[in-house]
Amino acid sequence: MPQILSTKEANLFRQVIRDYEEKRYRAGLKAAEQILKRNPKHGDTMSMKALIMNAQGKTEEAFNLAKEALKVDFKSHICWHVYGILYRTNKNFEEAIKAYKTALRLEPESQQIQRDLAILQVQTRDYEGYVQSRFAMLKARPQLRQNWTALAIAYHLEGNLQEAERILTTYEKSVTVAPAKTDLENSEALLYKNTIIAEQGEIERALEHLEQDCKKCLDRLAVMELRARYLAELGRKEEAATAYRALIDRNSDHPDYYKRLVEVLGLTAADEAAKKAIFDEYAAKYPRSDAARRLPLDFLTGDQFRGAAKAYITLMFNKGVPSTFANLKHLYSDSYKKDTLPVLAEEYLKERKDSDAQASSDSSKGEGAALFFLAQHYNYHMSRDLTKALEYVEKAIELDPKSVDFQMTKARIFKHEGDIAKAAEAMDQARLLDTKDRYINTKAAKYQLRNNENEKALNTLGLFTRAETVGGPLADLIDMQAMWFLTEDGEAWQRRGNVALALKRYHTVFNIFDIWQEDQFDFHSFSLRKGQIRAYIDMIRWEDKLREHPFYFRAALDAVNLYLTMHDKPEGINGTNGAEGHGANGEDAAEKKKAAKKARKEAQKLEKEAAERAAKQNPNKAQKDKEEDVKKKDDDPNGLKLAATKDPLGDAMKFLEPLLQFSPKNIEGQIAGFEVYIRRKKYVLAAKCLKAAQALDKTHPKVQEQAETLQKTIGKVLGSLPSKVQEVLKAELA
Amino acid sequence: MDIRLLRSSDIPLIQHANLENLPENYFLKYYLYHALSWPQLSFVAVDVSRPAKTPYDYPKIVGYVLAKMEEEPTDGVQHGHITSLSVMRTHRRLGIAEKLMKQSQQAMVETFNAKYVSLHVRVSNQAAIHLYRNTLKFETEKTEPKYYADGEDAFCMKLDLDFIKQQIIDAEGGEDKDGKKKTANGSAETEDQDEGEPVGDVGRDPEADKKIKVKVGRGLGVGELVERDESKH
Repeated sequence: MPQILSTKEANLFRQVIRDYEEKRYRAGLKAAEQILKRNPKHGDTMSMKALIMNAQGKTEEAFNLAKEALKVDFKSHICWHVYGILYRTNKNFEEAIKAYKTALRLEPESQQIQRDLAILQVQTRDYEGYVQSRFAMLKARPQLRQNWTALAIAYHLEGNLQEAERILTTYEKSVTVAPAKTDLENSEALLYKNTIIAEQGEIERALEHLEQDCKKCLDRLAVMELRARYLAELGRKEEAATAYRALIDRNSDHPDYYKRLVEVLGLTAADEAAKKAIFDEYAAKYPRSDAARRLPLDFLTGDQFRGAAKAYITLMFNKGVPSTFANLKHLYSDSYKKDTLPVLAEEYLKERKDSDAQASSDSSKGEGAALFFLAQHYNYHMSRDLTKALEYVEKAIELDPKSVDFQMTKARIFKHEGDIAKAAEAMDQARLLDTKDRYINTKAAKYQLRNNENEKALNTLGLFTRAETVGGPLADLIDMQAMWFLTEDGEAWQRRGNVALALKRYHTVFNIFDIWQEDQFDFHSFSLRKGQIRAYIDMIRWEDKLREHPFYFRAALDAVNLYLTMHDKPEGINGTNGAEGHGANGEDAAEKKKAAKKARKEAQKLEKEAAERAAKQNPNKAQKDKEEDVKKKDDDPNGLKLAATKDPLGDAMKFLEPLLQFSPKNIEGQIAGFEVYIRRKKYVLAAKCLKAAQALDKTHPKVQEQAETLQKTIGKVLGSLPSKVQEVLKAELA
Repeated sequence: MDIRLLRSSDIPLIQHANLENLPENYFLKYYLYHALSWPQLSFVAVDVSRPAKTPYDYPKIVGYVLAKMEEEPTDGVQHGHITSLSVMRTHRRLGIAEKLMKQSQQAMVETFNAKYVSLHVRVSNQAAIHLYRNTLKFETEKTEPKYYADGEDAFCMKLDLDFIKQQIIDAEGGEDKDGKKKTANGSAETEDQDEGEPVGDVGRDPEADKKIKVKVGRGLGVGELVERDESKH
């Protein structure tokens, strides 16, 4: 039987809850102790104490205490709820859901538990469960619009569009007083319903609904865009054209509007002149629109292209637009355009000289811009001639020795020449030309990393990171989730043979993706309050495929490949570079051994420094700053534990699985997957990766090599495999 | 280059652009907070001409404006605020910053009935100040001492958005015969030619981290939880 608290203690208990909610952890603990002194077996208080301890970072003790609490009072919904929260904060969502469900059975009326359960269900994409929860919540409080919208969202995410729409309509019909024009929640709910209608493929009805019910919706851009789209899809071309024209008037730099306009006007590839006329019209109407001038270059051909391109680059050079090359290089897939553009740039230079044009006071305009364009042209992989590139860039620099852009391109040319050290030096020169600009600072640091100068790069970056961050530039970059840095830094450490720090960086990237996934958690309830449902749905869809992002792919592939090397050469871990297994000759090996020793020393030094820093930190001060949110101390700041793994292939799986799940069409991932699986003797999975890789590119040399490896390996072991596996393999290999 | 509304999937590369360009940085969640609270207000400039390398390429962000509505305006007047605006130095002189700002301002009025928009800018950032003052017609309201983490002062700038409201009323009252509407696009043409001077940092929100914890990151407790704004404590 649970202990009963006296009135005074019951009040104290309420105080504990308040203290917890307001993050006054020490006060909360004190009050809890006070209750427990007289009632040592009061489960609810024990649970609250556990909750506070968990918030203080004492996870293990918290769990133990919460379990104790359940033992003394296993029928308390508070105990179960707390137990669920502990699991939730430690990311064991499955157990958390179970605990919440138990708590809810004990206290079916609790809005709080129901809400916590619902949030976890949508977070884990248990849509069936989410529908049930939202249904119960709607039943409990049908007067709240949020609850109707939430149930509609649940149905929508579950894929039941009709039911989602019906719920929204039911609410609308129940309202007797028309919502105010400025009611944003209403406006968004209407547009949300409109997109659900369209998602069902009922465009006609969606348009009707849009024109009748959403006419006054506050998101004007959405109304205009949806209307134009529906009209176009319904083949009401004239009206669609008008609608797209209105959108171009609103934003003349959104290429999609022009594309759609051209489509609904029924112009085909052959109607070059007619298409061009449309763009000319807008170029005249909006002199500052870039799209109206540049887009025709995509479809024009021959002399038409030449003329338009000439006009365009003349304008851009005169203005000194630095992105001119970047904005045109996609045209290089057409060889005529690729050949014509540099000729036009040369012409521009010549004409300027002939006309004896006044040298502009701003040397990034005119001649400088054209030289800059040509330098980039010859530096680009499709039109590369690095000698020429260097010539042009030197000329440009001569014109303006202080130009960051010119100097930056010079560094890039060196990089393409393969001289990474020289490139890094040149990029640092560029940085010195404008030390107040973080962009060039970032580039310089990146080049230093490419040159394996990790420490120097961090110093460079430290010129812009927040000075107050405890732990210096590295801590700031990690806090701020600087993926590019973590990946480049890891790759540089890997090249230097420092497996520990390389792994550490890749794992940090992995963890940041976990944070990004966790980030959506609060929005499940927040977005309902804000009423911005379409944006919320957009976020959910994106989070669903979060790890397909190239940021993830690159770091994860690096990690998998590094683990593979660790598996293959366990003794020489610190001497390998993670790339192909070159380095057979003795000199190379000696070199690597030396590098490995240096790297080990470096890691030890870093660790010592970190320990010293930690020791110097005043523990009281940190406490005072923020009692809440105890930052969990990293017990492996330099990755030594990671590098000491006995099971590199097992560790690689953590990175590999999302790689294969979210980026199955990236051949590099499939290739890495094969290598891991074949070593783990998972032949069916290896065959699956190989098959996927073959479907992407049969001629890839690595894929062909793997096919042979698989045949050979399986040939040897086939007989020893279970017959089911044999069957599957035979089918896969057939 | 493509100017369009921000989407959630853009955020990693917006955060990347911000980290590359500006000293005021934010967690991904703070971008999400903008995208999910005022999804109509933030815009990006995208480099659309990059050939795709894999089927999973995300469009490269070369400029963005991250904007919000002031949630509890001290003056009681509905207004927008620019949290961060940045254009890569490689993509300047195309007027991107100005175009992004105009799209955002238009939506601030239409969707949220904003009366004005405010922002902070480093007093040393001449280029950005030029953009706001000369091109976008912002006015300096006051100087906020030591606003930035490194101790630099900020100008607090404001732009009255009444002119957009007026344009909307005019347009509703009757479109021109040829259907021409004065919109964000149209109003800039006669202004002096800003080609997008280097535009730097705006709006480090000193409350940023604190606020998000309060508004969306409250620790979940047991019992009846009342929503509270801890920034007031």
